[in-house]
Amino acid sequence: MGLTKKIVTWARIKSPWIIHFNTGACNACDIEIIAALTPRYDLERFGVLLKGTPRHADILVCSGPVTRQIEDRLIRIYEQMAEPKFVIAVGSCACSGGVFSGCYNVKGGINSTIPVSAYIPGCPASPKAIIDGAVKLLASLKG
Amino acid sequence: MKMEEDVKQSLIKQFNLPEETIRIPRPRRIFLEISQEKFKEVFDFSVKELKFAILLTITGLDEQERFGVIYHLARETGAILNIKTSIPRDNPTLKTITPDFSNADIYERELMDLFGIKVEGLPPGNRYPLSDHWPNDQYPLRKDWKQEGVTFEQPREKQDVSEKSGGDQNA
Repeated sequence: MGLTKKIVTWARIKSPWIIHFNTGACNACDIEIIAALTPRYDLERFGVLLKGTPRHADILVCSGPVTRQIEDRLIRIYEQMAEPKFVIAVGSCACSGGVFSGCYNVKGGINSTIPVSAYIPGCPASPKAIIDGAVKLLASLKG
Repeated sequence: MKMEEDVKQSLIKQFNLPEETIRIPRPRRIFLEISQEKFKEVFDFSVKELKFAILLTITGLDEQERFGVIYHLARETGAILNIKTSIPRDNPTLKTITPDFSNADIYERELMDLFGIKVEGLPPGNRYPLSDHWPNDQYPLRKDWKQEGVTFEQPREKQDVSEKSGGDQNA
């Protein structure tokens, strides 16, 4: 690994910026993601910062199954992110469709539409699990 | 139960209805079944004379050979009048009530999307609540509807996503 690449990887792991996107969740996972970011669990101590736009974000944090209506919005948001980009699927629905799989208005998990880097199961996924998943994703980047 | 009885008696008196078409299962809940032909005048009388001036929602039902439609009307005191009518499955057509209740717009669009009921007089607008790519002749709340074999149109930007590297290693 060249020196420049080493520095870039170091910087990326030190401060990954995220964007949270609800693709059809019931709001439980969203609340847990917010809880993970706020001071009690404090995902920010790993440098994780919530951004307002996908253009600034490295990681797309998705909650909920992909509904047919959100599908092309999700793709559009994914394509707005700069490379390299990563996707975390938070919650059972985001991982596989969960209880919504087979519904006429639901396509499936996040990986039915865009590639996913980390799956965090749970209904809802607890803040500790979300932090664990985020840290494992960051550790895998060191490679 | 006096208020409910008053409503019942005035409806019976006005339209000469048989006693069993109106049920009062518990306080402040009144259920009325009416044929499609008589529906309009009974509905207008309930709204204007009996002052059930709030539309809560419209429910659609699949009753095999007919579709049931329940209009849930309310008074400000909390009494709810449920007017049920039914329309034949082979010609499911309703008249819009949006001139009286503008909030009926979304409920009537739901009936159109989910049951395939035609609503006459509804101003043009977006489809609701199904997604933009939903096939036009599929009505998912009909009981004989099956998802198998239904093809959904692919979204516009779908093609070039799967090739791009997203770091597809599992952490």
